[in-house]
Amino acid sequence: MTNLEKLNNIFAEVFNVEVSALNADFDNKSVEGWDSVHQLSLTSAVEDEFDIMLDGEDILGFTSYENAKEILKKYEISL
Amino acid sequence: MFLDLDKKDKTAVAVIDDSGQSITYGDICDFSKKFHEYLPIRALIFILSENRIGSLLGYTSALSNRIVPLILSAKTEKGLYENLRDMYKPEYLWLPNEMVEDMGYETIFSDFGYTLVKTGNPAAAMYEDLSLLLPTSGSTGSPKLVRHSYRNIEANAFNVLRMFGLTPSEKAMAILPMHYTMGLSVIASHLLAGATLLLSGRSLLDKGFWDMLKEATSFTGVPYSYEILMKMRFTRMDLPNLKIITQGGGKLTEEMFQALAKYAQEKGKQFIPTYGQSECTARMAYLPAELALTKTCSIGMAEPGGQLSIIDNDGNETFEGVAQGEMVYRGENVTLGYAYSIDDLQKGDENHGVMHTGDLAKRDADGCYYIVGRLKRFLKIFGLRIGLDEIEGLIKERYDIDCYCKGDDEKLIVLITKADLSDEIISFIEEKTHLFHKNIEVQIVDAILRNEAGKVINQ
Repeated sequence: MTNLEKLNNIFAEVFNVEVSALNADFDNKSVEGWDSVHQLSLTSAVEDEFDIMLDGEDILGFTSYENAKEILKKYEISL
Repeated sequence: MFLDLDKKDKTAVAVIDDSGQSITYGDICDFSKKFHEYLPIRALIFILSENRIGSLLGYTSALSNRIVPLILSAKTEKGLYENLRDMYKPEYLWLPNEMVEDMGYETIFSDFGYTLVKTGNPAAAMYEDLSLLLPTSGSTGSPKLVRHSYRNIEANAFNVLRMFGLTPSEKAMAILPMHYTMGLSVIASHLLAGATLLLSGRSLLDKGFWDMLKEATSFTGVPYSYEILMKMRFTRMDLPNLKIITQGGGKLTEEMFQALAKYAQEKGKQFIPTYGQSECTARMAYLPAELALTKTCSIGMAEPGGQLSIIDNDGNETFEGVAQGEMVYRGENVTLGYAYSIDDLQKGDENHGVMHTGDLAKRDADGCYYIVGRLKRFLKIFGLRIGLDEIEGLIKERYDIDCYCKGDDEKLIVLITKADLSDEIISFIEEKTHLFHKNIEVQIVDAILRNEAGKVINQ
């Protein structure tokens, strides 16, 4: 599985959506129910999957699918 | 006036909210007078609350003018709101401006982003000492409310003030929602102290929250708040103003409890866990900071002004020495009782200052209490109180199937008999309770087996 597929699966699992629903508009404004529980669940799953430890700032910044991809690049996860 | 608000320093800042706006104690008094001009009678009002100044002014003005509020989250699910509206028939609503149009009621006046509207319902008959109504469960659709007296709120505020030694120089981070008993307790106790509230409706994963926290002298959270704080590694942050971290709304894990106690000791702060229920105006017990390192996961002792005891299996009530059994609380913050219908608003005091908590506790030789289980059937997940009987009722009504709920403070487990409903029921519970689907598990069984007493046996 590619890193992008891994990330997509995490989003699909946390938000209970199909991978096809993930796009540039998938963020904490447009997705109903995107609260701190979901966000923390996302960041924990990402940390486990990619074996990284996110900075506090990056946990706060995990507010959209696009941001998530950008943040992962900082940790040298190529997507 | 409510909480002697008119006797504080009029120029002192009472509240700052997320918008950056602030109000003084003088502003609170002026607003209360203005509210009285528009609403001069004792009436039932629904406050659709958010953690911002407009919402808080509705609360202080209602309580100061003997108007009785039922405080609900502005985000209350529509079906639940309509159910409560139809049952309790409020004469007025105090709600965010954005919601006024949808409701379609006559507007009386607007200020601070909030509006007073009149519903056209007739005045409800209410007990003279009824001051405030709060839902027992924020979400499961139960119309069951807790009835508070004026004295309940003042006693709680005063007890909490003494417990933390609050002074006017305090700046309290108030992130727990106003419709939640602990959130209101933070608000009332600090207003009584003449202190400043940093009132925030932000998520703990919002940068604005962290900027505000830097100013705060105290933080009050539920276990889940501390999970987020720990995840953000706040113990390594420089928060020189922060003096007190305190917690309520359920049990911390041993690991978290010890980590917070250790953090407090190393950084010269106080970690003060508390225990309470909405039936007792939020708080009943606290563990003094100096015991945090040695009494892991203890709720400590009764707060100032209260008394705890244990009734053991043989029915003997004791107030000291080692014991285990149901924990009982006595104090002026024990609420009047419940309301299940509009007629119940006329009821007087049914508890008479004594609350059987429904929690099983043990008491050690030093007089410290530990919660070990529950007699009543509910879970607390992320600080959400999940009534198992209520969830079962909702599922049975909606799907016409037999079911049984159990679980712990991590997960709600639902036993059902129809495999093809599994996903649907998870979504249904998620919608009704705002629980996260990962904290809900559906198990399929052939049948829900009950013994002769009706107790479920396939656990």
